[in-house]
Amino acid sequence: MSFDLTIEPLGQTVGVAEGQTLLDAALRAGVYLPHACGHGLCGTCKVQVVDGEIDHGEASSFALMDFEREEGLCLACCARAESDVTIEADIEDEPDALRLPVRNVTATVTRIDALTPTIKGVVARVDDPDGLPFQAGQYVNVQLPDRDEHRPFSFANSPSDPHQIELDVRLVPGGAATTWIHERLQVGDTLHLAGPYGMFHVRQSANVPMIFMAGGSGLSSPRSMILDLLERGCTLPITLIHGARTADELYHVDELTSLADRTPTFTYLPTLSHEPDGSGWAGARGFVHEAAKAHFANDFRGHKAYLCGPPAMIDACITTLMQGRLFERDIYQEQFISAADASRVRSPLFKRI
Amino acid sequence: MTTTAAPKKLGLKERYALMTRGLDWQTTYQPMEKVFPYATYEGIKVHDWNAWEDPFRLTMDAYWKYQAEKEQKLYAIMDAFAQNNGHLGLTDARYINSLKLFLTGVSPLEYMAHRGFAHVGRSLPGVGARVACQMQSLDELRHVQTQIHSMSNYNKLYDGFHAWRHMHDRVWYLSVPKSFFDDAITAGPFEFMIAIGFSFEYVLTNLLFVPFISGAAYNGDMGAMAFGFSAQSDESRHMTLGLEAIKFMLEQDPDNLPIVQHWIDKWFWRGYRVLTLVAMMLDFMLPKKVMSWKEAWEIYAEENGGALFNDLARYGVRPPLGWQQACDDKVHLSSQAWSTFYQYQAAAPFHTWVPSPEDMDWMAQKYPGTFDQYYRPRFEHWAEREAAGDRYNNGTLPMLCQVCQIPMLFTEPGDPTRICYRDSVYDGERYHFCSDGCKNIFDHEPEKYVQAWLPVHQIYQGNCFRPEADPTAADFNPLLEVITWYQMNVGVDNAPYEGSEDQRHFRAWRQMTTSNA
Repeated sequence: MSFDLTIEPLGQTVGVAEGQTLLDAALRAGVYLPHACGHGLCGTCKVQVVDGEIDHGEASSFALMDFEREEGLCLACCARAESDVTIEADIEDEPDALRLPVRNVTATVTRIDALTPTIKGVVARVDDPDGLPFQAGQYVNVQLPDRDEHRPFSFANSPSDPHQIELDVRLVPGGAATTWIHERLQVGDTLHLAGPYGMFHVRQSANVPMIFMAGGSGLSSPRSMILDLLERGCTLPITLIHGARTADELYHVDELTSLADRTPTFTYLPTLSHEPDGSGWAGARGFVHEAAKAHFANDFRGHKAYLCGPPAMIDACITTLMQGRLFERDIYQEQFISAADASRVRSPLFKRI
Repeated sequence: MTTTAAPKKLGLKERYALMTRGLDWQTTYQPMEKVFPYATYEGIKVHDWNAWEDPFRLTMDAYWKYQAEKEQKLYAIMDAFAQNNGHLGLTDARYINSLKLFLTGVSPLEYMAHRGFAHVGRSLPGVGARVACQMQSLDELRHVQTQIHSMSNYNKLYDGFHAWRHMHDRVWYLSVPKSFFDDAITAGPFEFMIAIGFSFEYVLTNLLFVPFISGAAYNGDMGAMAFGFSAQSDESRHMTLGLEAIKFMLEQDPDNLPIVQHWIDKWFWRGYRVLTLVAMMLDFMLPKKVMSWKEAWEIYAEENGGALFNDLARYGVRPPLGWQQACDDKVHLSSQAWSTFYQYQAAAPFHTWVPSPEDMDWMAQKYPGTFDQYYRPRFEHWAEREAAGDRYNNGTLPMLCQVCQIPMLFTEPGDPTRICYRDSVYDGERYHFCSDGCKNIFDHEPEKYVQAWLPVHQIYQGNCFRPEADPTAADFNPLLEVITWYQMNVGVDNAPYEGSEDQRHFRAWRQMTTSNA
């Protein structure tokens, strides 16, 4: 038994199976609904049921109060359809989001490159005849072998070939997934993937120059986005600032350098924070935010900025951008959040950054 | 899986924009600067009002629906509380004094907030900001009404509630909250948004509301608790308005930063000084304690406020001047304030008392290193004098701070044994302040604060007597006359708690509910 779930204000209708939550159905159809805890406690995924019958499931009585239930609100992460349902979510129409459906596929590893001493590039071919179409900036969940867990990795390649994926993975000491990828994964192995996920994508319809700020293996999404933009003939100025500790931790340098040489609108600016003096490195030194501030003379107005990397780098970049007068509405980030970051007390001053 | 695309419905944001934006127009009969005369004189530069992001998307028709339901629930609880003689379920009649403090000191501020947001809504040229201010203005009117209604039940039974509005404009310590809001409402519209919308509603509101409302809950006052919850459900909207206001100002022009920073410094300190009354209520006036002022400060100011100022640092804003002093003084504030009210019992329309030995132990535990050293000996001394039938009353009126209007009761930073005095000379006159914070505020705008209506000065100038009073009469007692002018029932409203009518009535009525005596 399955029902139709219509999501306003998009007007998009997707299928929802018996027992499947509305959130899961929406995400799998490529419709991003705001959500956080995923099990009925936080209330982030509260939506209005405009029409149809739902079961509230395990929604907490604190996250969804009785009067809200009477008013037809539900928590999408717990609610299940009992008829065709129409919901209205507080989502902004993102004209540039492709809203690709989430799918489960397998892929066969075709190549593993040691990009740096700590980063491996895993290239795989999607077995499914339809491939796994994704939007540059999105990520995929990779199933771990022998246990019911998955880890997210950003697509590092251009999305032009839906059968091709590249995941550039940094070894995290003690990390189960990255240790497996670095030490045990072989060419010919099968990866179990679910995706694409995420709302990190280029807002191309804004039609303004773009700044990409990447730290370490945070290069994946920016690289995918830039390759995609240039393949599609984008002529807006694009600047990529990639930060690494030392020269041997930089990767895809040749590709990006030659792309910059061929493309007058694309500027590639690698910067090193811990490169020894006298190593022969002729490029920029310092952190990403410092290189950006110098390059743009502390004036970022009129751009959109895309940030990807560890929290300390993101934090420093946001501060630098804001002091150079680029504010929240023009800053997009993909942050790798650890448990410690999530528990930090935050003010509600900013919503997305 | 099927995926079909029907014609798109408008998103909540777009729909809200269509209903609320474009309601204004460029005037032609009069120039815009005459229609909005207060929009520029503060120096805040706005280039694009369309960049204002509506902090909440609520239309007036939805607003009425929400508020009507809140009222329905609130009044049902208030009625039930009154019909069931809920006041006899209170922990103790001492609790009621915190309501007297709230009704005389805070509720009139809600009304002033209603007026202030209406005024600012009229004054700001941006339509998004105007709609948001209009709703907050209505919220504040609702708050004052529900507070009056929920506390009017107490007025039938207990002393000191009858003339709250009259007292607010006259009584010495009520000039503290009154002058705070008068200062805000006489500022320009942008300063008002930082003063009330941001500093008060965001940075300090939790320190006002949570202690009072938790205090009500802990002490069995369902009525006050319900109005608190009902008001709190509006506060999240008010906070987001304040946050949007400050972001908007900071993003519109870099020249706005120093102006906003000064307002943050000023209004943090102004608000913090008003909270002195809350600190005292929390630590001394609740029979069943919720948390100490120190604990409340640590959670709501140091932790939440600290996170906010971390985020604001991105704009180049630094934490307010005086922040560190407020953090350091958290271990002294409530004891210094309650000592003052105890001494001036005769001039306050609520009851005071020496904390019981158990309550002093609680204070010692909450304030290790300060309560036993600096304050317990004083309270024990007063307890001994009370036991000997010689309660201490201070008959000399205190010097007031020209800015916050609090008596000079605060101590020097780092030295709790010395009272802090500061002064400035302006136009040949010397003015006195309780702190560096208040002095800084004065020095920046002396022409405003020299006009302050300081209750003690006014008493000494003879401006606080009834028209029929005759100061030349042989038996004229000026202090008694002032209290009469305050409309206090002398010897009843202003009596010490021990032996008061409230204490006797509460004890007798409670006994009637549990026995046949």
